[in-house]
Amino acid sequence: METTSTNEAVTNHAVNSPSQSRAMLAADNLTKRYEDGVLALDHVTFEVNQGHIYAMLGGNGAGKTTTINLFLNFIEPTEGEARINGIVTHKEPLRAKEKIAFVSENVMLYPNFTALQNLDFFARLGGQTGYSKDDYREVLLRVGLQEEAHNKRLKGFSKGMRQKCGIAIAILKDAPAILLDEPTSGLDPKAGFEFIRLLESLRDEGKAILMSTHDIFRARDIADTIGIMNQGRIVMQSQKSDIAGEDLEKLYMKYMAGYMEQVN
Amino acid sequence: MLKILIEKELKAIILSPKFSATFSVCAILIVLSVFIGLRDYQAAVAQYETATTLSNQEMREQTSWMSLNTRAYREPDPMQIFVAGVQNDVGRLSSINAFSQIKLENSNYSDEPIFAVFRFIDLTFIVQIVLSLFAILFTYDAINGEREGGTLQLTFANAVPRVQYILAKFIGSWLGLVLPLLIPLLIGLLLLLLFRVPMTGDHWAKLFTLIGASFLYFTFFIALGLLVSALTKRSTTSFMFLLVAWVTLVLIVPRAGVMLAGQITPVPTVAEIDGQREGYAKERWKQHMDALTERWEERNAGLQNLTAEEREAFRDDHSWDWMKEDEEERKLVQRDISEYDRKLNEDLRNRKATQERLGFLLSRFSPASSYQLAAMHLAGTDISIKPEYEDAMRDYRDKFISYREQKQKEEGGGMAGGFRIEFNSDTGMKISGDRDSGAIDVTDVPVFEAPQYRFAAGLLPAMPDFGLLTLYTLLAFAAGFVAFLRYDVR
Repeated sequence: METTSTNEAVTNHAVNSPSQSRAMLAADNLTKRYEDGVLALDHVTFEVNQGHIYAMLGGNGAGKTTTINLFLNFIEPTEGEARINGIVTHKEPLRAKEKIAFVSENVMLYPNFTALQNLDFFARLGGQTGYSKDDYREVLLRVGLQEEAHNKRLKGFSKGMRQKCGIAIAILKDAPAILLDEPTSGLDPKAGFEFIRLLESLRDEGKAILMSTHDIFRARDIADTIGIMNQGRIVMQSQKSDIAGEDLEKLYMKYMAGYMEQVN
Repeated sequence: MLKILIEKELKAIILSPKFSATFSVCAILIVLSVFIGLRDYQAAVAQYETATTLSNQEMREQTSWMSLNTRAYREPDPMQIFVAGVQNDVGRLSSINAFSQIKLENSNYSDEPIFAVFRFIDLTFIVQIVLSLFAILFTYDAINGEREGGTLQLTFANAVPRVQYILAKFIGSWLGLVLPLLIPLLIGLLLLLLFRVPMTGDHWAKLFTLIGASFLYFTFFIALGLLVSALTKRSTTSFMFLLVAWVTLVLIVPRAGVMLAGQITPVPTVAEIDGQREGYAKERWKQHMDALTERWEERNAGLQNLTAEEREAFRDDHSWDWMKEDEEERKLVQRDISEYDRKLNEDLRNRKATQERLGFLLSRFSPASSYQLAAMHLAGTDISIKPEYEDAMRDYRDKFISYREQKQKEEGGGMAGGFRIEFNSDTGMKISGDRDSGAIDVTDVPVFEAPQYRFAAGLLPAMPDFGLLTLYTLLAFAAGFVAFLRYDVR
């Protein structure tokens, strides 16, 4: 296994560089320095192809959410660019957003709307105007939300139920890329398991999925590529097959602690 | 996209508890206010008709032109149902006679002070106070609430232009507030028809323009709510800011403007004016009496060397001319006092007008004042109602007195004040009146014509306030728009 301790020579196991291929999601020297001077993201480069799941691992403040915010153009990069299907997000944000669906850490929908009403609004917002109520029900069942909850207002929903609605909205948008910001955080084991299975099925449909997470076990379970981030940098990036025999937890802890040499 | 966003906004508002609260409060307040206003108006009409009939009857029963007096009454107007303005504070009648000044007396609130304690809630009050609060309630968390709820992030993860989003927020909130207002308003209009209120075309035009002004007024608060919501991260913060802004704009600025104007341009009190008037009249009458005494002394001095018979004959020859001369002098004094009174009134009115202009100018920094003034101008219940009515009543008094004097001349010949005074050296002085001649004929007595408040006449002075309301709304919306373009949706 190859690993390096600098951002300039991040371990790259058969992960294409953005200049070499037209990936669905690509970060190219993506850098973000906030107005208060904090460097949140430091020349991050990676890409995610169709039918792949990329898991960004890292502690709080590592830069995972900043990366996702840059893809969503919620903030603009200081340097570099994020691309969705070749579209630079900060230059053509509306076009880029047509190609992407997003599930946040804590999906919050309109509490006075029912699950079906929420789905209808966000599906139409995502440009999908042809769905019927049956389509919505079918997707909700697919994500595991039981039928009796479909016409209930969201204000009584648990976090797991709301996450299911969130992924249902992402499915309905039928975008080629999906961004997930710590989607399994706070879910019970069963809900977390179901969620992961659902992501696998979406990958199998050809979606490019970028997921930030703290959960190294689920990341290893599902991701095709794992990137470990620390202080705004990708300090390790490997394909699943390359780290199959490794103790990922140990690897993660060492990278996070900065003991890069010991890994080698 | 805009349609989807507006639909969502409207649906979110309709499904929220604040919509049902707004609808309930608006329905109860507006319908009740129109109903009570209607009953008050009907009572005022009945009172007006009874009073004018009684006054006419009293005139018909008079037997002497000398004692012919009357009263002029302020006519109730259907617009007072919606905009009470100052009509409950201004007197309803004034005596019309040669000896007292025109002064509107017996206002509704002076007759029934209990209603002045908790004043009548009209449509203007409901819009100015209640709806502006609801507008804030609808919009204080329009942007930051969605951010706190996480829906803003999810929305902007889609290809949603910010321009359309803020427009949808504005239009959706506006529609959300108009809906609970429209139904009770329609019920109110139906009540007008049901109670057969004599609404002319002018009245309908005024009423619909007033509704337009009301919409414009709460549109400002919607824009203000969006602005503050787009400037703050937390909905609790924006609510607090908006509450402070509301108290300042609706409660403080209008009053502060008027109070400040009172300090800058003081106006004499009614007591001071009355004191000046009485002082001048007393002094003038004293001069007149002194001159009269002097004249009589001079007249008597010429009689010193005459015999009693010659004196009697001389007096018989000259007494009528002397009386005419004295009467002319008396009339001159009366005219002087009236002229002085007129000047005092004019000066008072000019100073009051200056104070009012300044007070209104300062208070117009508040949209609430602009709305209130526009509504009162439209309805004809603004503060000019008092001077306009008093002017009309003064004109009427002049006509009435001329008429009476004319009649006195026609029927009384040498009558002075309704009594016939005859001098005869043989029989001495004889005073007789016309009491025994029966009631006087007053069929052609002038009728008081109340000032007419036409739509165009009310709209013209309301135009600057319409302009200001539009300006305030546009400024608030533009600022909110710019703030939202820079808003961090995370």
